[in-house]
Amino acid sequence: MTATTNLRASRRRHPERPAWEEDPGIAGQTAKGVVLTAVVLAVLVPLWVVLVTSLSSRDTINAAGGLVVVPRELDFSAYRIIFSGGQISKALLVSTLVTVVGTAFSLVLTVLAAYGLSRPGSVWHRGLLFYFLLTFLIYPGLVPSYLVVTGLGLKDSLWSLILPGAVSVFNLVVVRAFFQNIPGELLDSARIDGAGEFRILLRIVLPLSRAVVAVVGLFYAVGYWNIWFNALLYIDDNEKFPIQRILQSYILAGQAPQTSGAVGATLPPTLAIKMAVVVVTVAPIALVYPFVQRHFTRGVIVGAVKG
Amino acid sequence: MTPPTGPSADRRGFLSLLGLGAVAVASGGTLAGCGDKATRGGGTQNLDKLSALIPEQKPFPGMPQPDIKGTRPVPDGYTKYPAQLVDAIADKPGTGGPAIRAMVPVWGPAPPSGRSNSYLTAINAELGATIDFSAQDGQAYADKLGAILGARDVPDLLCVPNWEVEKLARFSDAVGALFEDLTPYLQGSAVQAYPMLATFPAGAWRESCWNGRLMAVPNPTDGPFPWALFHRKDLLDKAGLTAPKSVDDLFAIGKEVTNPGKGVWAYSDIFAMVQMFHKAPGTEEGWRLKADGTPEFKYETAEYRQAAEVMARLYKAGYVHPDIVASKGADAKQLLQSGKILFHQDGPGMWQPMQAEQQKITPGFNIQPVPLFSATGGDPLAWGDDEPISYLFIKKGLGKARVEELLRIINWCSAPFGTKEFDLREFGVEGRHHTRDAAGPVKTELGFKEIQNQYFFISGRSPVLPPYPQTPQFVPQVLAYSNETVKYLEKDPWDGIKFEMPAKFKAANVPTQDKITDIVRGRRPLSDLDAVVKEWRAAGGDEARQMLGTALADAGK
Repeated sequence: MTATTNLRASRRRHPERPAWEEDPGIAGQTAKGVVLTAVVLAVLVPLWVVLVTSLSSRDTINAAGGLVVVPRELDFSAYRIIFSGGQISKALLVSTLVTVVGTAFSLVLTVLAAYGLSRPGSVWHRGLLFYFLLTFLIYPGLVPSYLVVTGLGLKDSLWSLILPGAVSVFNLVVVRAFFQNIPGELLDSARIDGAGEFRILLRIVLPLSRAVVAVVGLFYAVGYWNIWFNALLYIDDNEKFPIQRILQSYILAGQAPQTSGAVGATLPPTLAIKMAVVVVTVAPIALVYPFVQRHFTRGVIVGAVKG
Repeated sequence: MTPPTGPSADRRGFLSLLGLGAVAVASGGTLAGCGDKATRGGGTQNLDKLSALIPEQKPFPGMPQPDIKGTRPVPDGYTKYPAQLVDAIADKPGTGGPAIRAMVPVWGPAPPSGRSNSYLTAINAELGATIDFSAQDGQAYADKLGAILGARDVPDLLCVPNWEVEKLARFSDAVGALFEDLTPYLQGSAVQAYPMLATFPAGAWRESCWNGRLMAVPNPTDGPFPWALFHRKDLLDKAGLTAPKSVDDLFAIGKEVTNPGKGVWAYSDIFAMVQMFHKAPGTEEGWRLKADGTPEFKYETAEYRQAAEVMARLYKAGYVHPDIVASKGADAKQLLQSGKILFHQDGPGMWQPMQAEQQKITPGFNIQPVPLFSATGGDPLAWGDDEPISYLFIKKGLGKARVEELLRIINWCSAPFGTKEFDLREFGVEGRHHTRDAAGPVKTELGFKEIQNQYFFISGRSPVLPPYPQTPQFVPQVLAYSNETVKYLEKDPWDGIKFEMPAKFKAANVPTQDKITDIVRGRRPLSDLDAVVKEWRAAGGDEARQMLGTALADAGK
C-alpha cells in the first residue's frame, strides 16, 4: 500500500504538493483545451452568426434560409436603415443616459448603505439589515409597484427606470462583506488622526475597494442597459424608449396575429435589420466587459470567502 | 402626473381588482404558477337575451358596390379602387378640448409619437382633436393591460384585442368598474347619431356586451378562419406535384420533396391543420357536444387522437424541418420564403404581405392555401368564428359631452372603404405618405414608418377586403378559398353565449399544450396522451366542462 503511494508520488514532479496543484499532463491539457474551446465557441458562434447576418444582403439571407454562417459580402444597408430613422440613435442615447446616471446613483446609495451597515456599532444596524434582506424574499408585486411609481408622478419619466431598482440588495451585501474585510485597525488609526466617517469612507475604504466597486458598478450598468419591463410599464412616450424596448419590437415584428386585412399589413423589418439591432444593443456592453472583468474574481470572491 | 383616478369603490372591490392584476400577470407568464391559486373567475352571459341592446344596422348610402361578394362571415371584396371617393363626414368630430389619451397595440418598431409624426398631426387636424397615442408592443400587451387595469389607471380610449380578453381573469369585473356603459349612447336607433358605427354587423356588437350592458365598440373581423395551410405552389409546380387532397398525399408529397442534402423539408408544424383535416373540434376553444349533450374537449375526441398520431408520424418520418422540431422559435415564414419548407400553417393574414414582398425578390413566387379536405370522408370541417378583432373601451366618468365627442371621433375613424376619411386614415396625406397611380395609392417610405394602424385600433368597420394593386390576384383568390371553406364552418353549440373560462382551466392550457407538443414531436410516447388528458381533466378541464354544460342548460339550448 505504502509502496504504491510512493511509486505514484515519485512519478510526480513535485511530490510534496497535493495532486491538484500539479501541472496537468498532456491528456489533461488537451482535455482542458477542448472543453475551453467548446465553451468559447458556444459563446462566439451565435455572436458571429448575428454579426454576419446583419451584414448580409437579402438574397444571401434568402439563400441561407435564415441566419447566415458564411459571409458572402459586406452589406451595411441594414445599419443605414436603422440609424436613418433616428429612433435607434435616440434610444441608444436614452439607454446611455439611464445607464450612466442610474449606475452612479445606485453606486452612491449602495456604498453609503453598505458602509453604514458594515460598522457593527451603527444605529439600527441589525434591524435595517434585516429590513433590506426581507426584500430578497418578498416581492411587492406588479400592481402595488405600478401604483407607487405612478403615484409618485414618475410615469413617462426616466426616473421610473432608475428609482424602483436603485439599490440591489445582493450588491449591497457583496459590498458590505468587502468593507467588513478591511481591517478595523486601519479605520481606528484614521479615526485617531481625526478623520470623520465620511473622510474614512472616501479616503481609506473606497480606495481599498476599487475592485468591488467596479464589479458592482458593472452589475448595475448591465442591469440598467438591459432594462425592459419597467419601460414597458411606465414609459408610454416612444421618444423615451430605451434600446431594449426597440430591440424587442424589432425582433418580434412580423409576429402580429394575422387577419387577412389591415392588421399587420405593415412592412416587417428584414432579418438583417433585426440582427443589426441586436449587434447595436449588445456591442456597448460587450466592449466594456474586458476592461472590468479583471476586477471580477477579486471583487466577488472576497465577499464570498469571508469567515 | 395625478395619482390613478377612477370611480370610487369599496375596499373589497378594489382588492379584487388587484387580484385581477396578479392573475393577468400569471397568465402572461411572468409569475407563472400563481395562476392556479385563482380558482375564481369564470362566468357566462347569454347574449341572445341582449338583442334589445344591439345597435340597429344600417348601411351607409352611396358606397361603391363590391366586385366580389363574400358569404358571411366572409367579407365582400374589391378588386379596384373607386374612381370617386365619398366625403362621408362633413363636420369635425372633435371640439378641440384636452388631448385624448389612447392606448393601442402595435407590432414592430413603434412609430414616431406626437408632433414628430406628420401622419398623426394631419389626422388630428382633420378630427379637430389631439389624440395622444400610447402605442404599446402587441406581444407584451397583456402585461401592460394587467398593470393598468389592476392600478385603475386607464386612458380615455383603450383598445383590448379579443385574444387578450381570454388571458385576463375576471375581465368583466374590470369592465364594469373602469369603463363607460355605452348602452344609452348606442342601443337600438340611438346609434344612428354615429352612422359609421351603424354599419357594423350585429354579431360584433353582441360580443361587446359585458354584465348585460353594451360596453365597447367592436372592431369586427374581416376573416373568420384562424388557420390556413399555405404551400409554395411555384415550387410544387416545378416538381410536377399538386396540393395534397388526403393524409396519404401529405406523406407522399413529404417523401417526394424532403431532401435534407439540399436543405429542403416539406412541412413546418402543421398540427392545427392536421386536426382540422381530421375534423377535431376547434371553434369554441376546442369544445363540442357529445351525442348525449355533454360537452367534450378536443383532447378527449378520437379525431384529435388520430390527428396526433398522423402528426407524430410526419415528425418521425422526418418531413418537418429540423429547426422547427428543435425549437419553438424557428422562423417558419422565413423558411417558407426561402423554399426550405414547402408547406406552412399560418393565419390567412400571412398571404398577401408575403406574396407582395417576396415576388419582388423571387421571380414566380406564389403561395396558395391548400383547399380544405377531410381525412376521414364526408365534408371537411373548418374552424372559425366571427368574434371581433378588438374592443374599444371608453374610460368611465368622463361626462356625457366628452363621451359623445369620443364616439364621434370613433365614428370618423370607422368610415368604410370608399370614403375620403378611410383613405386618409389608411394611407395618410397624398404626396407625403402615399402617391397615387392608376391602380391606387402606394405608400411611401415615410408612410410605412409613420402609419402603424394607430387609428385603426380606435375604430371599427363594416369589414371588406380592399384591393391590393401589387397582388391583383389576391382578392379573387382569397375570396374563392374563403367562400368555399366557409361552407364547412364548424357549428358552435354555444353561439350567442359569452364565457369567461375558469382561471384554473386557463392556467392549465399552456402546460398541457406543451406536454402534447412533446408527444407529437416524439419526445414522449404516444401512449402518454391518456395520462396527459387525465391530468388536464383534474387541472380544470372538468370544471370548465361543468360550466359549459350548465350554460347550455340555462340558455335553454
